[in-house]
Amino acid sequence: MIFDIGHLILLTAMALTAFGIVTGYLGGRWRNTRLIQSSFNVVYVVAALVFTATVILWYGLLTDAFQLSYVWNHSERALSPFYKFSALWGGQAGSLLFWCMILSAYSAVVAYVNRDRHRALMPYVNAALLTTSLFFLVLLVFAADPFKRVGFVPPDGQGLNPLLQNFWMILHPVMLYLGYVGMAVPFAFAVAALLSKRLDNEWVRTVRRWTLIPWMFLSAGILMGSQWAYMELGWGGYWAWDPVENASFLPWLTGTAFLHSIIIQEQRGILKTWNIVLIWLTYFLVILGTFTTRSGIIESVHSFARSDVGPYFLVYLVLILLGFLWLLFDRLPLLRGEHSIDSFTSREAAFLANNWLFAGIAFATLWGTFFPMFSELLTGQRISVAAPFFNQVNGPLFLLLLLLMGVAPLLGWRHTSLSAFRKQFTFPILAGVAVGLLVFLFARSFYPIIGLAICAFVVATIVQEYVRGVIARRTTTGENALAAVAGLWRRNGRRYGGYIVHLGIVMIGVAVIGNEFYQQSLSVTLARGESAQIGRYELVYDGMISERKSNRIEYHALLNAYNLDSGRRVGVITPQRNIYDKTPDMPTSEVGLHVTPFEDVYVVLNGWESGGASATFTIYINPLTLWMWIGGVVLVLGTLIAAWPHPTQRRSEVVRSLAYATGDD
Amino acid sequence: MHRIKYALPFLLVGALAFLAVLSPGNAEPAMAQAGAASSSTDTRVTQNSATANSVTPNEVNEVAKELWCPLCNGVRLDACELKACEQMRDMIAEQLAEGWNKEQIKNYFIEQYGPQVLGAPPLEGFNWLAWILPFVALAAGGVFLWRTMQRMVASPPQEATIPKEETLPSVTDAYSRRLEEELKRYG
Repeated sequence: MIFDIGHLILLTAMALTAFGIVTGYLGGRWRNTRLIQSSFNVVYVVAALVFTATVILWYGLLTDAFQLSYVWNHSERALSPFYKFSALWGGQAGSLLFWCMILSAYSAVVAYVNRDRHRALMPYVNAALLTTSLFFLVLLVFAADPFKRVGFVPPDGQGLNPLLQNFWMILHPVMLYLGYVGMAVPFAFAVAALLSKRLDNEWVRTVRRWTLIPWMFLSAGILMGSQWAYMELGWGGYWAWDPVENASFLPWLTGTAFLHSIIIQEQRGILKTWNIVLIWLTYFLVILGTFTTRSGIIESVHSFARSDVGPYFLVYLVLILLGFLWLLFDRLPLLRGEHSIDSFTSREAAFLANNWLFAGIAFATLWGTFFPMFSELLTGQRISVAAPFFNQVNGPLFLLLLLLMGVAPLLGWRHTSLSAFRKQFTFPILAGVAVGLLVFLFARSFYPIIGLAICAFVVATIVQEYVRGVIARRTTTGENALAAVAGLWRRNGRRYGGYIVHLGIVMIGVAVIGNEFYQQSLSVTLARGESAQIGRYELVYDGMISERKSNRIEYHALLNAYNLDSGRRVGVITPQRNIYDKTPDMPTSEVGLHVTPFEDVYVVLNGWESGGASATFTIYINPLTLWMWIGGVVLVLGTLIAAWPHPTQRRSEVVRSLAYATGDD
Repeated sequence: MHRIKYALPFLLVGALAFLAVLSPGNAEPAMAQAGAASSSTDTRVTQNSATANSVTPNEVNEVAKELWCPLCNGVRLDACELKACEQMRDMIAEQLAEGWNKEQIKNYFIEQYGPQVLGAPPLEGFNWLAWILPFVALAAGGVFLWRTMQRMVASPPQEATIPKEETLPSVTDAYSRRLEEELKRYG
């Protein structure tokens, strides 16, 4: 009964959404306040409806309502409530509902926050956001109904995919969706700017924070996904360039390019067309990413669920493409730049190079991801495009990007004089060369030397910027160094928060270099009491224990780890295998880890014989991996500093909205 | 003209990086293999391959690392848990025991399963496109960008002729003030 109501709610929401698109568009065109108000109301009501539908599905999951096909397929009685709750995004229909719920929540917040601002844009923003909602509601009603019945009441469900029963798998999709879906907001503003012909910098200014926050969630989501892959898939790595990983990475690339290039538009009034194209591309890649994940068009380990939503996605993608191109070409004369670029050694030029590289990496990644499909269609030959391809094509580009990250902030707007050049670059270059030489002494291979030297260079530029900022503040205000740093963040969070984000990226870069070039591995079978040595560690196998949990049996192998340098025992490493009752042929792995700032000792339990008298392990030494997760935290903190509104900014926003309120509307 | 010379260091660094990066020898990540099983050398290999007794799983994985599971996408053979992949690893152990080298084994698997077992498209026929197109696109974008910038740099600065946008007094003021500050700092 209640689930029929759930279905009805989705139907109602769909009809209302269509109505809201019409009122938003016509209200914006005719400047009819009643129509505009009704588009706002639709946004709020749809958010409430979709949320209610989600709560009903949650209710079904938590109360084991196996008469629902979704609950039957993705849950079971023995599942802990925590995973029953998260089973909402464990399968297709549920995750589409979750998508839709986040989108409508975002829409409601955007509408509410801007209810008295951007009078010309908001009706179109509502209409654009509702259009995306409409697409997902159509999917939920016609192609992937989360409230579909089985026809009888099965005694127990089939269980959640064991790979998804992991802590990071709870957080990772939520973060990813918050980032993914959030990118629809800046896109909606871009569409609104095009439709209302208000193509000055207004929408760009508004959208900066609305891009920064989803960007932060997307970055955190990608990193948590890496963490999950690292802990759960047990192949010693964190990123496999799997099609679905790429699907989350592509909008990140274009979104990052967008975040940088809107700075140029704000400061110099150029790149207007390019910015609109970039945010459209980001939105397009988000929808494409959802499509590849959900349709299983490219086979991959992540394609847990697939069904007949594919054609709907294809139609919608074509519609976005054609509709957007038509709109863009129609408005092209209004998108002329106000200034030009004065010199190659200007920050503008460096930002352009940044966009060029980001776009290049995005293209290479997209091309590599879909190439197997083209190859099979055109030549009939099945090939795989995996890490070796992406590392070789994207690796050098990332290195250049990293270099640019250090160079760009040192250049002045418009152009850089020779004396400024010397003043800005001397210390960072020296630091880079010093670290390069240092690495050369220890390991003479080309890539790591260049990579780490560039990392040092970037860190030095950041330190230099901070030191100069702090000194400048101290001479004017006389405050101590810590207060001065806080002052920099408060007064100019965009810039100094941005540097913190860059610092986080460098940390991630260092971890990638460490793993890519200095990883060691060893496969070994040990009887109880035997030991294996890798790097400066010795591991002694100490037998196995098993533990019965609600829906699985866990097998733990115990390895005593000794550090040979210090001769001390550093702890017990316990790699683990879980065998689930419902899917005994799909044992999952939990790696055993000993984490230090220098390296992770990473142990996978491959198998065992005679109850654990002997066991086979793959042992990896993964240098510097910890810095990837620390870098992620730093990146999030930096983004928050950059996005935090500070007092003077808030005041200017009030002035701005007053200017609109008394303007020509 | 004199401004071009500031760009030279960038060009130099960029060109060097590219050259070094494209040189084939460096492309393969050097997976160091440092450790050795201290006491397991005399114990048995768990797999039931009688012929491959003397081959350690370590040696097998050294080869398997460079091959990819033909059934799943993006999973390396040394980490794949499918039965089929286990058999492929046993096969590698047997071939190693018979004295095959890495290249021979890889070629054998390419013959058996097609180029899918390689993690990247082989450099032949249609597959060239996979490798070439990203760089062609990048180069085309670069040339376009370069020429646009050249045109912009060559044309006289338009700042003076175009009136500043004055829609939002307070904000643009703040920005232009900051811009002026920066110009002073770098000019």
